[in-house]
Formats: sequence, C-alpha cells, structure tokens
Amino acid sequence: MLRFQILLMVVFAAGLQASHITESVVRIEGTSLEPNYKMPWNPGEVRSGAGTGFVISGNRIMTNAHVVSNARFLTVSKEGDPQPWIARVAHIAHDCDLALLEVERKGFFSGMLPLEFGGIPTIESIVSVYGYPIGGSRLSVTRGIVSRIDFQTYSHSGMDSHLAVQIDAAINPGNSGGPVMQAGKVVGVAFQGFRGDIAQNVGYMIPTPVVTRFLKDVEDGTYDRYVDLALTYESLFNPAMRKALGLEDDNCGVLVSSVYSTGSSEGLVEPGDVLLSIDGLKISSDGMIPIDANGPVPLTEVVERKFKGDKVELEVLRHGQKKTFSVPLHSPWPFTLQASAYDEKPRFVVFGGLVFQPVDWNFMEAHDPGNQRLNYLFDYFVKDELHKTVREPVVIGSILPDPVNSYAGEFLHAPVESINGEPIRSIEDVATAFAKPVDYHLISLLGDDRPIVLESKLVEKARPRILERYGVTSEQNLKK
Amino acid sequence: MNLQRLIKPLFSILVVLAVLTDGSGAPTSVIAKNGLTHSVLRVQSTNQAYDFFHPWVKKESVSRRGVGALLEGGRILVTAELIENSNLIELEKVDAPGKATATVELVDFDCNLAILRPDDPTFIEEMVPLRLESGLYSGDEATVVQLEPNGELAKTTGRITSVTIGGYPFVNLGLLVFKLSAPLQQRDWSFTLPVVRDGGLCGLVMRYDSRNQTSELIPPPVIAHFLKEVSSGTYRGFARLGVSFSPLRDPQLRQYLGLEGNGGIYVKKVAPDSAAAQAGLQKGDVILAINGKALDQDGNYEDPDFGKILFSHLTNTRMHPGDLCEVRVFRDHKPMTLSLRTEVPDEAKQPSKAHSGGKPPKYVVLGGLVFMELSRDYLREWGAAWRDKAPQRLVYFDTFQDEMPENRGTIVILSQVLPSPGTIGYEHLENLIVSRVNGREIKSLEDLVAAAETPGNGFQKVEFEEDPKMIYLDAQGILETSMGLMDQYGLPALQRL
Repeated sequence: MLRFQILLMVVFAAGLQASHITESVVRIEGTSLEPNYKMPWNPGEVRSGAGTGFVISGNRIMTNAHVVSNARFLTVSKEGDPQPWIARVAHIAHDCDLALLEVERKGFFSGMLPLEFGGIPTIESIVSVYGYPIGGSRLSVTRGIVSRIDFQTYSHSGMDSHLAVQIDAAINPGNSGGPVMQAGKVVGVAFQGFRGDIAQNVGYMIPTPVVTRFLKDVEDGTYDRYVDLALTYESLFNPAMRKALGLEDDNCGVLVSSVYSTGSSEGLVEPGDVLLSIDGLKISSDGMIPIDANGPVPLTEVVERKFKGDKVELEVLRHGQKKTFSVPLHSPWPFTLQASAYDEKPRFVVFGGLVFQPVDWNFMEAHDPGNQRLNYLFDYFVKDELHKTVREPVVIGSILPDPVNSYAGEFLHAPVESINGEPIRSIEDVATAFAKPVDYHLISLLGDDRPIVLESKLVEKARPRILERYGVTSEQNLKK
Repeated sequence: MNLQRLIKPLFSILVVLAVLTDGSGAPTSVIAKNGLTHSVLRVQSTNQAYDFFHPWVKKESVSRRGVGALLEGGRILVTAELIENSNLIELEKVDAPGKATATVELVDFDCNLAILRPDDPTFIEEMVPLRLESGLYSGDEATVVQLEPNGELAKTTGRITSVTIGGYPFVNLGLLVFKLSAPLQQRDWSFTLPVVRDGGLCGLVMRYDSRNQTSELIPPPVIAHFLKEVSSGTYRGFARLGVSFSPLRDPQLRQYLGLEGNGGIYVKKVAPDSAAAQAGLQKGDVILAINGKALDQDGNYEDPDFGKILFSHLTNTRMHPGDLCEVRVFRDHKPMTLSLRTEVPDEAKQPSKAHSGGKPPKYVVLGGLVFMELSRDYLREWGAAWRDKAPQRLVYFDTFQDEMPENRGTIVILSQVLPSPGTIGYEHLENLIVSRVNGREIKSLEDLVAAAETPGNGFQKVEFEEDPKMIYLDAQGILETSMGLMDQYGLPALQRL
C-alpha cells in the first residue's frame, strides 16, 4: 500500500487573513479530529488545515473530500471579506475525493456567481488553477497545459481509480478543491500531486465526468458510492491465446480472470469469458473503448458514469457462443476494507486488557503489524475471497499489560478465530462471545497458536484497575 | 535477536585475513609440532551455488578454506557449510607439500557436518586419526586449532561457557550448540576449525562472534550421533518428533486444562504425516514426559550430562531414527501414553523445500515460460530481507506450508517469462502458482512435464491460482521455437529434473 501521491491540503498553525479575491473561489479552513486507531477510546488528535473551494449552483461550495474529512468545525471566507462564515458538509464522497459544503447563515452567497462546468479539456490546451496554496495568503492563479488524460488511483481512499487529468500548472498544498478553469468554465477540481522529490510539474485534477457523476448521485439526498463490475480481466494480445479461445485476429476482446463474489457480475459473467463489448462499445484487446473524442479509455469508464441500480450490457464469448448480459450494478463491500476510511469512529472491544479491533486500512496504517498471517488476511481479503467466511478479520490490536494478561504478550496482532467457541466474523461477535457466562474465557487464534485463557473472576477484578491505569474511558465501541 | 546479527560466519573475516596475515608477524602462541600435525588437513573447497533466478546457470564461484579433522577409517570431518555446492575439494597436509582432491562421501545439512574422502587413499596413509572425545561439559577447557601460514599449529584454549539448543545454519532442528569463550585471531583456513581436548576431537567451530570472542561449536553428542549413523552403513540422520509446542507458564491456561504441578508443554501443531501424527498426538495435547523423563513448563528435561535442556536433544540427538519413544500425554483432563518411532521426514513431500542440499534446482522451460518448484532457496534470492521483499503470496505459502492439505505436493511456480514471439502478452507474468496444465493438477515439475505432453487441440493450457487464471501457448510453436530460445537466452537445456 505505498502511497506516493500527496494530497494538496495545507496544514498550518496560525490563522491567516482573508483578502481580496475573485468572486467565486473561497478559502476553506477546517479543524478536524483524527481518530486514534492505537488507543481507540481516545477522542483523537485535533488538526487544522486549509484548502480551496468554489461556488456552484444551488448555493453550494464544491471542494475535495480530503479538505473536510473528519471535520469538526469549518469556516469559509471570500477574499475581501474579513469575516469567516461557518460551513458544514452537505455531501462527501471519499471514493472520488469530492465534497459539497453549505453555509447556514444567509447572505454569504449574495453577489457570488456560481461557476459552471465544461467538458474534458483536450491535450495541450491551456488551463488555469485558482486557489489558496502555500506561499502567501491571497488567491493564487497558476497556468499550465493538459499533459495526460488517464485513470489514476485517487490517493484519498487509496483504493479507487477514476479518470484524472494531469496538468503541468504548479499545484501546491492548499490548492486542493480549487477550480481548474478553461474558457470561463470549470474543467476540473485540483486534488493531488507528487512530492517535489519524486516528480515535478505533475498535478492532477478531477475531471468533469467524475464531478458531474457525484452531483447527480447526491441529487436524491444521499451519496451511494461508485458501482463496480467487480471482475478482473487480462489483455488478449497473444495469438495462440486468441486462437484457443476461438477469437479472430481483430484485436478485440479481453479475458475475464476473476469474478468476485458479492460483486455485480457474480452469477452472470464467468472466469474464462471473453468480454467483447460494453453498452455496445467494442472492447479492444487491451481493454480500451472509444467513449469520448479524447481517445480510448479503459472499459470501466462506462461503469464509472453509472449509478447504483443502473444496468450495463455486456457481450461475452463463452465456449464459442456469444451471450449478452444485463448486469445490475452495485458497490461490492469487501473492497472498502482496504480503503482509507474517514468520518468513522474506531471500533474496538477491551477485555482483560486485550484490545480487540477489526482489521481495515486504518488499523493497518496505524499499527503496521509484522504478523505475516495478518498481512495475508488483509492483502488477500478480496483476492482470495476471505470475506466469504469473515465480514472483517479481528485481531488483538494492542495489549494493556496487567497481571491478568501477563502471558499473552506474544499474541500482539494475532488474528482471532473464535472466542468461547463462537466463531469471530466481526467485532460485534467479540462483544457477544465475551458476554457468555463462563468460568474461563477461551480465545482461539487463527493458525497454530495455543489459546489464551482468561479466568472470569480475574478479568472482573482487573477491569477497574486496567481502565484506571491506562485511562480507558470506554470499553467498547461497535459503531462506525 | 540482536545476537544473531553480531555472529558473523567465520567466512566473513577470512577474506580480510588472507591479506592481513600473509608473511606478517604471527601474534599468538605457536606451539611446536606434535601429534595433531598429522591429524588435521587443510581443506579448500571451491563452491558455486546455483542462481535460482536463472536456474540453468551457476553464480560466481567462491573459495572456502578450513581445517578438517581426520577420523578413523580415512574419513575427514568438516562442516557442511564449507563444502556446500562444491565443484572441487582439495586437501593439503599441514607439514608437507602437495595437494590431493577429495570427494564428499556424506553430507547432512541438518547437523552441518560432512565426511570427505581423499580420492587417493594413500594421501593420508602416514597420518594419525583423531578419536572422538565425548566428555566435554560446561566449564571444561577445550582448544581451537588454527594454522599459521607456515604450517605451524596455533592453539587457543578457552572454556565452554554454555550448552544450549541453538540455531544451525541450514535447518533448525533443536540440536545442541556449545559456546566456547576464547579470542581467536584472524587466520586463513578458518572456515571450519577443529576443537580438541586431551588429544581427541571434541567439536567443530561453525561460527565466531568477534565482539564477544565466542565460538559456537558443533558439540560431541551431535558429532557422535552423526558418526554412528555413518558407521551404520545406511545413513538416516536426525529424527524428530514432528510437533511444535508452546511453553505452559500461564497459570490460567494450566488451570483451564486441569493441569497440576509445574510441568508439561502445549502441543500447538503436529506435522502432518509425522510419527507423532501417526501415533495420534493432537493439537491441544499436553506432553508431560518423554521416555519417562518429565518435561518442565518450558519443555526442558533433566539430562544426565547437561542438566536442564530442551527435550529435542533427547528425541533428535540421543535417540536414533526408528527408536521407540513413549510420550506421556495429558488430554481431556486424563493422562495417557502414546508410543511412536521417531523418523526423519520425507522432504520430497514438502510443498516448499527448506534447503536444496546443494542439488541443482529443477526447472522446465516451456516456450519461454520458466517453471520451478517453490523453495526456501528461491525465496532467499531476494536477499536477507526476503520475508519482506519476496512476493508475499509465495512467502506466505512457504511459511504456512504445514497447513496445506496433506496431498498438496510441491508448489510449482511460473518464475519468469523469457520473452519470445510465442509469449507476446505474457512478458509481465512472474511468480505465479501453477494449478493445472492441460487440465491436469500439478503437484511437481514432473507432473508438469507429463501434462505438457498432451496438449489439447494443439494448445498448451496453463492455469494459475491468481490472475491471469489461464494462458495458452501454441504447442507446435513451442517445439519450433525451442532451439532458437535456447540459443537466444543461452539455455544449456530446456529442462532439468
């Protein structure tokens, strides 16, 4: 999970002054509470940061999700207006790094012109980036050309890839959420770049297909996330492979490798099928389709523009026979385990000084465990379909040393298989299993370790002592 | 664990030493010639390991030099490390010119010992074999024998400071290791060094930690076990019980299990197919005693020679393969006795072999696809940090291979692709576990070769556990291009099994 892209949000210490600005771009200052996945009962760390936003129709401010994630207090300010206005998040989409803010007090939007969206800019065309990057307090404008249009991993979630446009205009921390303009219209939202020591003049913006999809998704009041075919495919370049599959030498079609259970395509598409077309668009042998005038894009772009409940037409070749499926789309849940999560509280159960936690990206990032079995569970949760047996792996995330657990130290980060005979498939199961009245609590670990035994009487005795000594303010939280 | 890093194999200091000591002053006591001069030999082995990333070639050769001890029957004892992957072994007498070649008669990487025999038996005719001195205990003095460049013996005497179960370089079998505290000088010919006491051989130095001035020795009981097996005519080696265990120190766990007293260890895994598994030993059993010797909560028993020591010394070294072993077990709150005969596991059944034993790696090249069997040696090509650096799925399968279904067989992988016209589109494939070829399950490279003989409709179909799940090759095209492929990539052969 190497993430080398940085998010362009500036984190600062002291307050900054608003100054004269162009009309529709706003500066966003936020205070967030970053949850603590090592001591999950703690409220977390208070952090401040700033980014950029812009006014769009309906008295809304658009910005990046990462500018306002985990926010506890947000203000927006216009240039030339010294007053900060309190804002709140109306909608947030972590999988495409976009958010919409509202300002409660009336009057903020008066005199401001909502910006309008354009299309995907062509390669080499000139764009201007507006925002409040580091290096000064007033609005900054930089200029560059469109360098590349391609799929990129959106590093805010770390898991999702969408279309992104690379530009060579200077984009720096603080530019996040700012509009990228061409011919008076917004053609993208600046959102990520590389650290200066990795690459120069490489900045990325979220293009309008992603932005308009987000706006359409929230029209019904809730954000439903992206939908996914939940399958993998391989290019079909090899002549022998094409011949064996009964394909002509026409550079068309890709081979389906895996179809993930619980995903949209399950039960319809099968591994070994050759995908020929998607919604009538012919798929080339490298998986690309001609969807816009901007050249070929990966076939998933068709699905990228759809919504929960929409259908996509897939034409496949199976055992030499052409078949057509209408695949109803939804978002497969197992994938979210491997994505960074925000605006969630860490879930945990403290028992006998052992802190049980579900395994997800946030846990792994905070603990960086060396346990090979745990790393396998996390890395292969989707690939090896481990989610068929557990909704989320549960581990002993940390140990609060006490005489009751003085022989359990070796089991730090060990994945739990069962407690008191009950299989553990989620953190809720831990709480339920320990509630069983027994003399000895038996914790069995995955693999070949000895069990941990905790005597109920000793656990009860140790309970107030552990809470007091380690400042544990709450023994469990099961809600996100 | 820091200790592990401090202990350098003697090899590392040797290279420097060749420069340091040539002709310059000899610092320590040089004892006049005595009987030992006629009982030890210089052994130089030119070793060349296979490159597991390109299994058809060998890596650059390295020379290892040590001192071998002559034993009864014309056998020369050295460490297995000295002669691992040897191309040529040469012997030199300490006090006379001339070299003779030697052959490895027997090597056991489990105990890091090997027997060499001169190809010309008359070479050692005049020499005096050493007897094995078995009475060496903690606190005793022993002498490490090194050689000066001029052939004089340099002896350094120290004391045995600890007797423990320790790590051996190739496999961790729970064998005894003695630690000898004595400051050794950097000298050439030190990769293997004999240790003597009262004129008899009582150990071989296998590692020297220069910071703590401590040598680790292969001790008399391990050498004696090895030699007894050698003399028996059919070498079987070191047996093992086939269980892994946890200490039983936690009073809460002891109470839960209903254990009284202080002893016993918790069986956390029984190796499938092992003697222990056949005898009915199960995960969760508590082993109380072996052959009447009670085990404490850490698994130690009271050894008549060495005091408290891990039971593996009893089962692996004191006992020989096939010996009867009575295991007193506590199961479901009741004691019971199981009896079994210890055995050396059949390594051919391992899904990923722990050590190749210097054997050339097997491979098959099929139309540019390179297939191999997964092994620890393959993973080690990623360097010292291979557990982090090597493909994680392979590391996982190697580490947890005991948990695989019993008939899993050896894991066959597509290690890499040598790009050729037939492999267009497959160039990026590497380190994939092969599940089937032409519909047949693959449990060894031999299976793969057999399966490749029956292509379906003119295509070789290879299936993998991970994406891409399957690929096809043109069977006729493979045959036509194989000669060109050998020529292009310098392959001496398309397969080695």
